[in-house]
Amino acid sequence: MAITSTTCSGSLPYLGYGLGLRVEHYEALLANPGKVEWLEVVSENYMVSGGLPLVWLDRFRERFPLVMHGVSLSIGSTDPLDDDYLARLAALAQRIEPAWVSDHLCWTGVQGVNLHDLMPLPYTEEALDHVVSRVKRVQDTLKRRILLENVSSYVSFADSQLSEWDFLAAVAERADCLILLDVNNVHVSAMNHGFSPLDYLRGIPASRVQQFHLAGYEQGEQLIIDTHDAPVSNAVWDLYLEAVRRFGRVSTMIERDDNFPPLAELMAELEHARTLAEPLLQDAA
Amino acid sequence: MSSLQAIQQQMLQAVLAEKALPPHIVRGDRIADTNSRLAVYRHGYRFRLRDALKGEFTGLQCMVGQRFETLLDRYIDAHPSEHYNIRWYGAGLAAFLDYARPWRDKPQLTEMARLDWAISTAFDAADESSMGVAELSVVPPDAWADLRLSLQKNLQVLTCMHNTDAFRRAADRDAKRPRLQRFAHPHQVMVWRQAMTVHYRPLDGDEWQVLGAAMRGEPFASLCERLAEHHDESAATLRMVALLKRWLEAGLICGWTFDPSLSGSAM
Repeated sequence: MAITSTTCSGSLPYLGYGLGLRVEHYEALLANPGKVEWLEVVSENYMVSGGLPLVWLDRFRERFPLVMHGVSLSIGSTDPLDDDYLARLAALAQRIEPAWVSDHLCWTGVQGVNLHDLMPLPYTEEALDHVVSRVKRVQDTLKRRILLENVSSYVSFADSQLSEWDFLAAVAERADCLILLDVNNVHVSAMNHGFSPLDYLRGIPASRVQQFHLAGYEQGEQLIIDTHDAPVSNAVWDLYLEAVRRFGRVSTMIERDDNFPPLAELMAELEHARTLAEPLLQDAA
Repeated sequence: MSSLQAIQQQMLQAVLAEKALPPHIVRGDRIADTNSRLAVYRHGYRFRLRDALKGEFTGLQCMVGQRFETLLDRYIDAHPSEHYNIRWYGAGLAAFLDYARPWRDKPQLTEMARLDWAISTAFDAADESSMGVAELSVVPPDAWADLRLSLQKNLQVLTCMHNTDAFRRAADRDAKRPRLQRFAHPHQVMVWRQAMTVHYRPLDGDEWQVLGAAMRGEPFASLCERLAEHHDESAATLRMVALLKRWLEAGLICGWTFDPSLSGSAM
């Protein structure tokens, strides 16, 4: 589907309000797309040779603007970048021509072992140099700027010299990449590490923020666990309002990864995001 | 080794092997101590791998029953994940069951894992077009003896000594767990994808002989000779026609070749 929206963040389009595409909602979404304006697909789910996943993907591509969101780039790993992975990612991007491609500011494995988790980095100058050089290589391979998302984390490293937001901002500036700001993840990490989520927002350069994620979490005994399996919490809605005030009109989506409710519930959450953001954006205009 | 590399390797061991991190690597604080923080990653690793395996090995879960979780945990302990896509983590499970105690004493489990995995890999195998009965009509009568069938690359044939397909069927239909049966002779189960649907079914003895020969590229005349070992001449011809029709209708045949001097054609 052609993208005709206005642009921001250096030539990438503004897409409006979207959802993460999940198998559980395939049929319902095609039958009744409601006010869902775009979809984010998990890249790895479609980096396959053939079969049903690509058939569905093509169907959605005819109806919605798509963006690709990966979980396995492992941009911060000290293992070499996986050339096979990058080639498949590039091939998928060529096939579906997404509005943009994103992954996470993290590492997912080392020594050839994959933890299938978004592991945080130590926020050091060494890690910064490492990540920046790899982002540049990925962007050269994909021939486009990528977005990196802040992750929820449960550990922080004694070696860290920078705050997470200063590190993310520095990666974006030095590698000339963009930011996918997961508002839920900011809240989760802030609560788990005892920093101010507002300081985080203030530390992120507005010109780099291309997309917001909104999601839910689970309150553990000591830590908040980023499960993405619950409705967006009131605390995250409040932080979203602050993010809209700071960053303005940014493509926003609800990301649900488990415990899937009927599609209508996610659409209602998305509508809530719109209802919160639009008055602020119109006032600002 | 760089500091970043050292931290990642220590974190890897802390998650996989549940080893304590050297002091002062990770900050603990009044919100949570270091162990509680690492426990989130340890739990997440195991949970995600278990979840991925449960989705792929539904027949094995049906066959193993309550000890399935234990089986998965031992596999996870023995095999760190190496592929970037968690969906491929199960690729080594059948081989693990073939050598690891106590499961190696129950060969039906390896058979079951192989069948589950064959079904899983057929799901997103490369697309191929299939031929229909009408397209076969272009083959000139003189060319049939030399005709060689091209079968779908996603077609897999598994040799089983147990009724493993019955367990998978029960899992697919959410039906009662069947009784395990051991066969006196090997049976074959074929797995393939027709359009977007993955199918599996047992093969009759004569069908396997002919299908196996076709997969090896033997000409049509040779397939008929193999059937003649099981049937008299007229019955063998009828059986060959029936099998060919069945394979075409199942989308198993994606083309054929024959001596071009007879018509100059191939599909």
